[in-house]
Amino acid sequence: MRASVSIVGGGISGICIAYYLTELGIKDVIVVEKGYLGSGSTFRCATGIRASFTTEEHIVLMKNSIEMWKELSESYGFYYLRGGYLWLLSRESDVEAFKKYVEFHHSLGVPTRLLSQDEIRNLVPGIRLSNVLASIYDPLAGKACPFEALHAIARECKKRGVKIYTQTEATRILIKNNRVIGIETSRGSIEAENVVIAAGYGTKSLMKTAGINIPLENVPHHALVTERFKETFKPLIIDWSTGAYIVQTKDGNFLMGTEIEEEPNIPPTVRIDFIPRIAKIWIQYLPWLREVRVLRYWTGYYVMSPDRHPIYGPVDEIEGLYIAAGYSGHGFMMGPITGKLIAEWIVDGKPSIPQAMRLTLRRIKEGKLIHELAVIG
Amino acid sequence: MGREVKKHPIIICRCEDITLDDVEKAIENGYTDLESLKRVLRIGMGPCQGRTCIPLLVRILARKLKKKPEELLIPIIRPPLVPLSLKLFIGGESDES
Repeated sequence: MRASVSIVGGGISGICIAYYLTELGIKDVIVVEKGYLGSGSTFRCATGIRASFTTEEHIVLMKNSIEMWKELSESYGFYYLRGGYLWLLSRESDVEAFKKYVEFHHSLGVPTRLLSQDEIRNLVPGIRLSNVLASIYDPLAGKACPFEALHAIARECKKRGVKIYTQTEATRILIKNNRVIGIETSRGSIEAENVVIAAGYGTKSLMKTAGINIPLENVPHHALVTERFKETFKPLIIDWSTGAYIVQTKDGNFLMGTEIEEEPNIPPTVRIDFIPRIAKIWIQYLPWLREVRVLRYWTGYYVMSPDRHPIYGPVDEIEGLYIAAGYSGHGFMMGPITGKLIAEWIVDGKPSIPQAMRLTLRRIKEGKLIHELAVIG
Repeated sequence: MGREVKKHPIIICRCEDITLDDVEKAIENGYTDLESLKRVLRIGMGPCQGRTCIPLLVRILARKLKKKPEELLIPIIRPPLVPLSLKLFIGGESDES
């Protein structure tokens, strides 16, 4: 097998990279996925999409991604809703910090704002706000259905000639004279002029086969869904003091998660303390949740980079080798912009958004870290 | 001519109202693993959490792919094993407190 670009990872990143390569005229693309499409982080994620971050890099990239989510969902008919994000603040120090973030968001065109209690109650009927000092609303933020989105974009990729091989594990990056020549997989090798590793935490071990060390940590996260209800509220709600979130999915289930101390890089286990913790947090705001039944609780990972930004683009040591990993919990929402930037890097030699240039592996080697503070869940 | 016999749909997943026809169409559309079928059809994602429908789905897919059921990757069963109200997890405290 051969291709001009071979992509490792059939999640939202890998599939979007393939899609935007076809947009730039590259059609002989092969994607390999070790499980089924979306089986890594994409289908485990909390489905939220926002630009209300704390760094210029994240905000600019995510604003672009949000526009692309809209276009993609309209073109390929999958669920995407700008239902907003609602940040509930219950500590004085957080209110002060968020007032500064709001100013910063405005300077970059993200229309976040403080809400009155009446406005919150209009967005989330029946919410109890006794602990809430202030709340910030991001109307540009929203949510999508990972299953629908990934399959819709993958279907379009296939239509355009992209080959997608599932149950096919990449085991080694093949290199000759400091140039990538392909990948070795569980189903034989694939020759390729360019290789993109978009394999979540698996990116670390694969890059090691090319002699490159990537500082990624795999941190288990926990989430649950309840039974389905008709649409009750649109925004994804965040309790900032505990890092908990709740969102109603397209199908009507309430999906929620919260921060919980975890050892990185170990297989996740079911935690007996997770459901009580998350139940207490959200019942306090939404008392009717007491009677709502939990259907299932699962784990996923945040693949953390040292500064909570993705590691993007080419590596200095090996020509033709690209990385797209380490989103630190934001890989789904960044999917479209990841796809566009990496495709541009491969085809044009550089991305069209200058802020992306600051997110290569070089920043970590040179110690130029850009710290994101708003990581939740 | 005799009366046409009305063909009733065969329900595979009662929670999400998925018929045999839906399953066969999804398989024909290229969803040939249980995890993808589950998500595309939402089969097994309702209150029964797949107790009735997943074993049926396994058999249908195995037959279509001419494989043994045990060769297919069976979706993981997630806790809690039966749907439980959130109030059962928060002890005796009341939300009024």
